[in-house]
Amino acid sequence: MTDLFLGLTQEIISGIALGSIYALIALGFTMIFKATEVVNFAQGELMMVGAYVNFFFVTTFLSAAGTPTAWTFLVALGGSMIFSVLFGYILDFIINRPLKDEPIFSVIMATLSLAIIIRAVVAIIAGPISLMPFSPFGDSAISFGTIIVSVLDLSIIGSAIGLVIIFYYIFHYTRWGIAMQATSEDPIAAQLMGIPIKRVYALVWIFSAVVATLSGILLAPRIALLDTSMGFLGLKAFPAAVLGGFGSIPGAIVGGVILGVIETVSMGTLSFHFQWIKEINDIIAWIVLIAVLMIKPDGLFGVEKVKKV
Amino acid sequence: MKGRYEDENLYWIPVLIIFVFLLPFILKGLSFSYKYYLFVLNMAGIYIILNVGLDLLSGFTGLLSLGHAAFLAVGAYSSAILVDQFGVPFALSLILSPLVAGLFGFVIGFPALRISGMYLGLTTMGFGFIVKRMIIAFREWTHGSGGLDVSSPVLFGYTIKTDWNNYFLIYTFVVIAVVAGRRIAKSKIGRAFMAIRDSEQAAQAAGINLAKYKMLAFFISGLFAGFAGVLFAHTSSFISTDHFDILLSIYFIIMILVGGVSSIYGAVLGTLFIVLLDNLFVPLLKDQIHFWFNTQAGDIQSLIFGLIMFLFIIFQPMGLYGMWLKMRIYWKLFPFNPRQRFT
Repeated sequence: MTDLFLGLTQEIISGIALGSIYALIALGFTMIFKATEVVNFAQGELMMVGAYVNFFFVTTFLSAAGTPTAWTFLVALGGSMIFSVLFGYILDFIINRPLKDEPIFSVIMATLSLAIIIRAVVAIIAGPISLMPFSPFGDSAISFGTIIVSVLDLSIIGSAIGLVIIFYYIFHYTRWGIAMQATSEDPIAAQLMGIPIKRVYALVWIFSAVVATLSGILLAPRIALLDTSMGFLGLKAFPAAVLGGFGSIPGAIVGGVILGVIETVSMGTLSFHFQWIKEINDIIAWIVLIAVLMIKPDGLFGVEKVKKV
Repeated sequence: MKGRYEDENLYWIPVLIIFVFLLPFILKGLSFSYKYYLFVLNMAGIYIILNVGLDLLSGFTGLLSLGHAAFLAVGAYSSAILVDQFGVPFALSLILSPLVAGLFGFVIGFPALRISGMYLGLTTMGFGFIVKRMIIAFREWTHGSGGLDVSSPVLFGYTIKTDWNNYFLIYTFVVIAVVAGRRIAKSKIGRAFMAIRDSEQAAQAAGINLAKYKMLAFFISGLFAGFAGVLFAHTSSFISTDHFDILLSIYFIIMILVGGVSSIYGAVLGTLFIVLLDNLFVPLLKDQIHFWFNTQAGDIQSLIFGLIMFLFIIFQPMGLYGMWLKMRIYWKLFPFNPRQRFT
């Protein structure tokens, strides 16, 4: 029985790491949804592009510098950040602006076709072979007594917490963050108060592209293979965002962590100990999601809206 | 008493139906590769049946479904199992299997009573994954992920085998499905659906039983999808869980969105547009592009598909049916139209 608990503790930690990545992707969705009511189906693809661009930078600098140092990864990270800011701005320009006053359905369609385009372009440029992403930490691990945790997981959890704190600060204590909140509350009133909502929208898309890129960079070494199917992981962040309550930022984070833990635990030790879990371990996230929604139809942290005629 | 179809011209409907059944002969006369065209059209026909049902659910009732491929799978697998393993005749399976899919609609419609919007979309998407997993779990009937060979349909003693014969089978049901979809949309049920979409509270205040009509929407939608599934299983002669991917469900939503939501003809147009674009037009373009680029064929194909879709949405956000409505108004007002409103 101690085996079971040891395994569970270890898997819960690694599940939290996976969950923090889901939470970051879900954070990207949630920000765009809050501000513009658009469900961005291309979020997973943004993440994939981020991972690819980072990989490209890392390999370029490695071939230039020879041996990998901390600087290689930091400079590559900076390069990917600059790229993602540009990318988010372009996305705002080609998706959000032309479709501003059109039905939400059309914008969702545009993001769906954008996802198809991005996947195809990346596949054409990068070729069909999966790449092996580098991790700055290699595969070293730290042991606390009998529990062994990989440094990569710890770094993921650490950077996710750091990012969430930074975003929290930006949203609640800076001018632009408050402008974003006002815009998502009521765009027309925000505009009347003198908030340049076009620029706020651009900023929201940029933020979400940056978060997506960061999550891609964190996720790529963890799944150890980089190919275009990584974009489909974006679909896994959907239940995370919905579980916490669509449009709620703490909800996205909690939902992501819960789903990550459930997924890792059900795939690992529990499958060895209980036969029936093996049958359902790839859909258990969805079962949890449906069960939660049946009890709380607006997710865990969602606010129930009073609907009027 | 005003007639139900008084504001429409009905004379072109029989003409269209005759054209549908003459099309294979025209294609045969025009082209050597008519068999491939018929294959593509058959696929489009099956998707049309499903999308009419999906439009009744997502377009008319406003209940977003991102898992409709699951209903297709339920219909296909139940028919395959009923006919090949229990010896039920195909004609009977045509009635029973859609009912099974309709029952699944009830099951998923039950949580939908409380859930709405994107939450419902995700619930149905989860339902899609769960159904796929269930199909794999019931190995002794479905052969798991290995797939299932399905016999050809036998109707009135005739075995229907080639694409040519399948075309007539499928399009008979397409006509029935479209007419049935129109009738439902124009009936009391259809009006109740639209009232629910526009405002649940107002609909309830007007005496519409929300629970009943939402369940009914899921049931009817499941019936249509199950019907499409039966035809899919028996005309493609092999089914596996890969045929009912989550991406297919998203494509279905794209199809009805391109056609323009909450119009049955829009669903038909959108389905034809996407299927023909993906299977006929894009491969043609792809061959042209291959002179300059040399990459994976599939990537180029999805790139062109995505680009066309994207540009279409940017320049024509209301979809094909919206385009058609604009054109119709344009010609009605012809010499006196304010030009800038119609570009």
